Amino acid sequence: MANLLWLQGGACSGNTMSFLNAEEPSACDLVTDFGVNVLWHPSLGMELGDNLKKLLRALTSGEIALDIFVFEGTVVNAPDGTGEWNRFAGRPMKDWVADLAKVASFTVAIGDCATWGGIPATAPNPSESQGLQFLKRAHGGFLGKDYKSKAGLPVINIPGCPAHPDWITQIVVAVATGRGGDLTLDEFQRPKTFFTSFTQTGCTRNMHFAYKVSATEFGQRKGCLFYDLGCRGPMTHSPCNRILWNRQSSKTRAGMPCLGCTEPEFPFFELAPGTVFKTQTVMGVPKDMPSGVDKTGYVKLTAAAKAASPRWAEEDIFVV
Amino acid sequence: MSQAATLDVEVLERIRSLLAGGLETEVFPRADTQEMTRDIINRLAAAGDDLEAKLTISGFTLQPIEYGGLEQACETCMYYLVHRHFCELPELAVPVEPQWSCRLWRI
Repeated sequence: MANLLWLQGGACSGNTMSFLNAEEPSACDLVTDFGVNVLWHPSLGMELGDNLKKLLRALTSGEIALDIFVFEGTVVNAPDGTGEWNRFAGRPMKDWVADLAKVASFTVAIGDCATWGGIPATAPNPSESQGLQFLKRAHGGFLGKDYKSKAGLPVINIPGCPAHPDWITQIVVAVATGRGGDLTLDEFQRPKTFFTSFTQTGCTRNMHFAYKVSATEFGQRKGCLFYDLGCRGPMTHSPCNRILWNRQSSKTRAGMPCLGCTEPEFPFFELAPGTVFKTQTVMGVPKDMPSGVDKTGYVKLTAAAKAASPRWAEEDIFVV
Repeated sequence: MSQAATLDVEVLERIRSLLAGGLETEVFPRADTQEMTRDIINRLAAAGDDLEAKLTISGFTLQPIEYGGLEQACETCMYYLVHRHFCELPELAVPVEPQWSCRLWRI
């Protein structure tokens, strides 16, 4: 059995909702098939009040082993570094996080808020929010850049707004079944198995991307969302078009631009007016290029691809 | 030829005639920033179906404009439909020739 504790800081519960929707494996499978003992979870935990405090103290003292510490939401430090805006079980949540992270074999941050601060940490960041080991791109966060759990790993970051349910449960299973040491993490401590390919990988609009045919309105089945509607699929690391949402679809498949929510800068441009769902350009050229592409190459490729585009690329090919 | 295609040809010729006839359009400043683009598009939306106003506001020309080291021609613009010879920017939505240009060009 692996003891798992899930706590929630500055959060909307979106990652909890996502977790409860998991299918492969499901939240129930974790318990019945993979030996995960959910000690407490904000939506599932039975203990309240003093009983919960007793459980948390037993974990921080080492009386009960904490194998997997999952945190959702930001670490709230306001006001003035005290963390009093987010009290839990008789003290600031940030104090519980600090104590529990010291005794956890594995610490897992779920969702953008826990990984890099997400929307609560958007300027001016009134809640003084931090991610567990990052604040946006800056390494450090609440636990500091040198933090390692007892198993010797830094915080395992599973970003997303929310994270895909199966990313969560598959990583929990890997850790619970003793394969945590096999996880390889990227520079932002995301499991490479999920966050090496791009959101664009597997997108049904790739042909339109290749032939430079743009979608100009939401929900259009024709056209690529990158050129005009601010889609960040070509520069966002996620498997959203490989491990589909609800096993059915993805944002881009449904005509909704990728917001880049698995990257540390999310929400991009601090949500300034006119920056959401609009490709930012400088003199007509996108400010953010597809990963690894430079401006000169992009311009040349675009001109050639557009000239070569077939007639069907301008039509709706997903006929009902 | 379909009715839509016939209409496209008629509008295309009308645009060519207006520009060749000396219609003065706002070729500069080009839409360098997102704010400028938004302002121009808002003006276009307000112009509705007034073709002359749309051409003027968007800075139409019958030849490409060289700007910022790039040739800004309809044929390389993201809104251009190569086979239909049409600008798909919703606020413009007019037939165009590949060598025409406007200041909302984006690649």
